[in-house]
Parts: sequence; structure tokens; C-alpha cells
Amino acid sequence: MNSSDAVREGLIPLLPRLRRLARALAGQVADADDLVQIVLERALARAAQWQPDAALDKWVFAIARNAWRDELRARGRSQHLFAPEEVGEMAADRASAQPAQQLELAMALAALPPDHREVVALVLVEGLSYGEAAELLDVPVGTVTSRLARARATLQAHLGKDT
Amino acid sequence: MNPIDDDTLQAYVDGELDASDAARIDAALAHDDVLARRVRQARAVRARLRAAFDPVLDEPVPVRLSALLQPPSAQSTTPATSPVTLAGGHGATHRRWFVPGAALAASVALLAVAFWWWQPGGDLVRMQGGQSFAAGALTHALDKALASEPDAHAAVAIGLSFRSNDGRICRTFVLRTPPARAGLACHESAGWALPVLSAVTAPEGGELRQAASALPPEVQAAVDARLRGNVFDARQERAARDAGWR
Repeated sequence: MNSSDAVREGLIPLLPRLRRLARALAGQVADADDLVQIVLERALARAAQWQPDAALDKWVFAIARNAWRDELRARGRSQHLFAPEEVGEMAADRASAQPAQQLELAMALAALPPDHREVVALVLVEGLSYGEAAELLDVPVGTVTSRLARARATLQAHLGKDT
Repeated sequence: MNPIDDDTLQAYVDGELDASDAARIDAALAHDDVLARRVRQARAVRARLRAAFDPVLDEPVPVRLSALLQPPSAQSTTPATSPVTLAGGHGATHRRWFVPGAALAASVALLAVAFWWWQPGGDLVRMQGGQSFAAGALTHALDKALASEPDAHAAVAIGLSFRSNDGRICRTFVLRTPPARAGLACHESAGWALPVLSAVTAPEGGELRQAASALPPEVQAAVDARLRGNVFDARQERAARDAGWR
């Protein structure tokens, strides 16, 4: 099996996790799936660069994170992915039994700078260890820890005392 | 006992402490209500995120995504990828050609597109030495437009730019005006050569937004065959434009 086939077949079981990560990064369902599509295209185009002894999930998550950063740059919104009026749509397009809570969470996430949001997505949503996230982001573990602590403080402040 | 700082408490909640440090906090929790509340809050943030995003794992994966991972032989029976849609496209059904002889249908469609392009007045393509080249507005877009500065109203959307394995700079593009077409253009002294161009089916009422995400398999295959290294980032794309795509 060549590397292209190995990557293609290896990505199939990773699709649900990739969609979850993209949702945590991009927010809106449509934006997140657009991001996944870009990630899959890039991963397939760069399959030859994947080393078979490297974990495919971390490799493709790194592509996802970089693609998301590219999208942010392309949109010229380095601080926030969404304009405030879009946050309401973001909550609205989620089928949720608790729209108010979802809106609250969406707004809290939208308030995070990209540095913080990606750490939240990788560690708290995807469940990577601090060390894995640090390697993926190419920053020291201490940087992951401090960004995560500040992100948590922001989220807690937005989500109220009950959380 | 020293007060427990936020980083340590967070590491405890996230399971990052070694056993002895974790045991120290376990012990402190029993008689420190303030600490216990901080732990509850930190856990609650994580739990709330998981509750919000874990259900994504159980959602059906859209066909337009899973189709990208089909073996190349299977892709040839779905000749047109579903292009990216604007918000609201979630769950939308994308038109596909579930007909016998889909490959034949694809060839017919490609011929039709080619015919449309080469008609007099279809001034986006010119022929030279048996090879098709960009002309008119397409040339202008390939020369000037940057994917990092997308113009939602432009007729031509630029996708990926990269240096091909033969040294030429190539760019993918999508023509938004119906019937939508996508292609690959590679810069050479005679202009932008077009090794591939192809029809793109758009969902009813949909719009092409991400040129990079709307590549039909034929165009993607042409990119894959030429891509060496990474696609350009915004800075490299601009630098390449300033250098005349050489």
C-alpha cells in the first residue's frame, strides 16, 4: 500500500473526531465542515509527507489547526472568527435542547483569541495531553498550560458561577 | 501547606499531575471548600465543552466529506464533487449522478464544457499549439487575484497556489458564473497553460465559496500529480505574484 492509500484509509475512521475538532475551532457547522474538506484535501495532497510511524490523528489535527489559522488570516479577523451577529446564527444552527446554554457557550468560545481557542479544542474537546498539544502546536508545554489556564478563566467568566 | 496555584489545579483536573502530587490535592480537597469549588468549576468547563461537542461524533458524516476518502476507482463513478455551500448547506442533499455509465456521462459533460469554452466568444480560453491557455478575465484573475484576499463577487475564485514538480507555479481556480467550472493553470512563458478544466455541480441555489474546496476529482488529481512540498501561504502567494509567477 502506498502512502496515499494508507493516509486515505487511515483518515476514514478519524472523520468524526476531525469534525468535532473542526466544530470546536470554527463553531458553525457549515464552516467546520468546509474546514474538514480543506483538511482532507491537504492531507491527501501531502500524503507523501506523512511518516508511517507518526500518529495519523496528530498529523491531520496539525493540518486542521494550520488550515483554520489560514482561514482566519484569509478572513482578516485575527482576533475573532465570528462577528458578534454571527454568534447567534452559530447557536441557531445547532440542533440543541438548550439553545440558551449553547448560545452562551458559543459566545464564550468566540471571545477567546485563536491561541486560546485552539488549546481548548485540542485539550478539553479532543482530549490531547498537554505534551501532545505542545508538540502539535510547536510551543513549550508551559505555554500550553498558561494559555489553557487563561482560556479557562475566560470561559468561566462568561459561563457564570454555576459552571 | 502551600496554596495551590491555578496551573497546578488545572493539571490536576486534566489528569496531568503525577500520582504523588495528585494525592496531595486529593487530601487537601477533603478539608478545603474553596479548593473543592475551584476544582468543580474547572471540571464543569471541561464537561460543558464535552457535552456540547461530543455529540458531533455521533452525527452522520456528510457524503461530500466521506466521498473524498473513497479509493480513486470509486471516485470516478462520482464525477462531480459537491462544492462547498454557504451556511445552511448542512444536511443539504447534493446532486449526484447515480446513473449507470456515470463515467460516460462525465466524459460527455467534460466535452460539453470544453465545447462551451472553445466557442467563439467564450474568451476565457485560447488555443495555441494544441494546448489551451487562459485568456481574458481568467488571465487577469490568475495574474492578479490572491486567495488570501478573496473577492466574493469576482467571477473567478482562486484556490491553491503552489510550485509544481516541474518548477512552474500552478494555481487552481473556479469560475463562479454558471455553469461553474474548475481547473488548474500553470504559468509558463506563453501564459497560463490549462492542463485540466472540469465541470462543477453546484447544489440547488448553492454558491461556490471556497475555490480550494470545490475541486472536482480530475482537478484534484492534476494537483496531486504536480504538488511538491506545500501549497503557498498568503505571504508566499503575494511574493510569487510580485515576482510575476516565475
